[in-house]
Amino acid sequence: MSILLLLLPSAAFFLLGLATDAHHRRRFGTCPQAARRKMLRTGGWLSLIVSVAPALLAQGWIFGPILWAGAIMAGAGIAFLALNFVPARAAA
Amino acid sequence: MSKGFRQSQAFLHTWSGLLLGWILFLVFVAGTIAFWREGLNRWMRPEIARVEQPMRVLAGSQAFLARKAPDAKSWFIPVATERTPGAQLFWVPQPKLGEERGRGRRGGRGRGDTQALIGADGQVAQGRETRGGEFFYRFHFDLHYMPVIWARWLVGFATMMMLIAIMSGIVTHKKIFKDFFTLRRAKGQRSWLDGHNATAVLALPFHLMITYTGLVTLMALLMPWAVVANYTDERAVFAALFPTATVVERTGRPAPLIDLRRIAVDAERRLGAPASFIEVSDPGDAAARVSVSQSANSMLSSRTPRLTYDGVSGRLVWRSPAPGAAAETAGAMIGLHAGRFAGNGGRWLYFLCGIAGTLMVASGLVLWTVKRRERLPDPTRPHFGFRLVERLNVAVIGGFPLGIACFFWANRLLPVALRGRADWEMHMLFIAWAAAALTAFVFRPARVWPSLFAVTGVLLVALPIYDVVATDRGLFASLAIGDLMIAGIDAAISVFGIAFLLLARGVAHHRPAAKRVRRARAATASKVPEPAE
Repeated sequence: MSILLLLLPSAAFFLLGLATDAHHRRRFGTCPQAARRKMLRTGGWLSLIVSVAPALLAQGWIFGPILWAGAIMAGAGIAFLALNFVPARAAA
Repeated sequence: MSKGFRQSQAFLHTWSGLLLGWILFLVFVAGTIAFWREGLNRWMRPEIARVEQPMRVLAGSQAFLARKAPDAKSWFIPVATERTPGAQLFWVPQPKLGEERGRGRRGGRGRGDTQALIGADGQVAQGRETRGGEFFYRFHFDLHYMPVIWARWLVGFATMMMLIAIMSGIVTHKKIFKDFFTLRRAKGQRSWLDGHNATAVLALPFHLMITYTGLVTLMALLMPWAVVANYTDERAVFAALFPTATVVERTGRPAPLIDLRRIAVDAERRLGAPASFIEVSDPGDAAARVSVSQSANSMLSSRTPRLTYDGVSGRLVWRSPAPGAAAETAGAMIGLHAGRFAGNGGRWLYFLCGIAGTLMVASGLVLWTVKRRERLPDPTRPHFGFRLVERLNVAVIGGFPLGIACFFWANRLLPVALRGRADWEMHMLFIAWAAAALTAFVFRPARVWPSLFAVTGVLLVALPIYDVVATDRGLFASLAIGDLMIAGIDAAISVFGIAFLLLARGVAHHRPAAKRVRRARAATASKVPEPAE
């Protein structure tokens, strides 16, 4: 559960980050097409919303939302570090 | 959004952030460290063994107090856990006839004679005199060397400025939400701005929460009108907020006190959560009362429920009523601020967010100078205001961490027999900090920045090594007995030390790169779109 709780927001922010021009270019070499950008954005927002569930399941209604707020901050941090500090593939 | 509004917000953001930024930096650093208050309380008393059996400590505490202060007015016994360094208990003697009644716990002088530390084995333990993690907790809102009330006003005012800075910052840097994934490295001002944004936005929920709830902790001081308008008597406020069982008169008939372990077990069963504090009034008298408070680890609100027992028969006589909605809200906010409910994972998250906040404040302060340096008419002779801010940055951002490193070293090195040892630990922090500030004002910042960071780094890295060599609670010994709290603090101190060393190296090597970037920028200045403030 806790792995899922960290994984979902990280993935969410990773997708949202990839939807930006700069990071998409860095990872894939091109700016994203409109459809692809939309797909990445939708995927990001969806996993962000879905990540509420494990937080509530794990901690209930009082601590769950706090845990969720913490988890999205941690996820954003992980995604931020991954996007900026993991070297892009040789192609880029 | 109109340009004018955004610019006015930029002005607000710059100046609300700058003027009290140095205090905010101190508050953030101390508050961040204070999340490990319990851990540091133990770490700074390496001779006190970890508590394995809390009930043994409780029995030992009762036996000690019954011997030492059998006819005290009241006993205060914290319930030891494996997170506390034994049980630091204290007692209040019977007021003598004709002597004015002490005003609560702080009334009596010479508290040193009325307190003791009970170790893990239930016997009195001789620990070194230290404030431990409590120092950071108090410094976070009381500062030091100044009347508490001034400090709280200052911190409260800085917190309000912080809230203003956050709000205006969101408006000013409205692009942050769109490019908060961006970090352009080695690009001078742009990198500073990206770093400032990243630390701010990534932990934005935390920053908003901690600033707002921080104001709530001080609300009775900052906005006393609601209380003043509704209550004429200060005691009535406390009675309403912190209800207690009715006080019974001392009978003078001796009666043996019940075994406190039995009461603790019963209270924990009724509360459904661990107990944190036991208060015994009139021990040894027929009218003895035992009050047990629930641990704040177990619930969000900091206003924890209490149970009061008859001290002779062990019968439950009073139970704190459920708090009103307002008190519950305030309690929940204070609980959220202090994060006492958090387990280790949550603590780490609080801690990391606190670091993000510290970096946000520090990078904001540095950014003020970075941005203005490029616009100086003559960069070699900056005006007074610029130099003041620049040097204050070095003195506070570079100096305070050095002071903390010296505080830790003082904890290890000061002789145990020194009079006022706990005070001297704190004096060492401020002496080291003052020395650092002095060098910041005498030498060029370009030289002082890296040297302060380097000294801090070396001191911090050496600390866990000293622990391994000179104490029997080094990193490996702690790991061997599974004491992750102490091992974690040692490891974290090494990590911070290494980070400071890397920072020192980075800053020392940074100068030429910054100049090159600036020249490059100057050449292409007309093409570069003006970044958002």
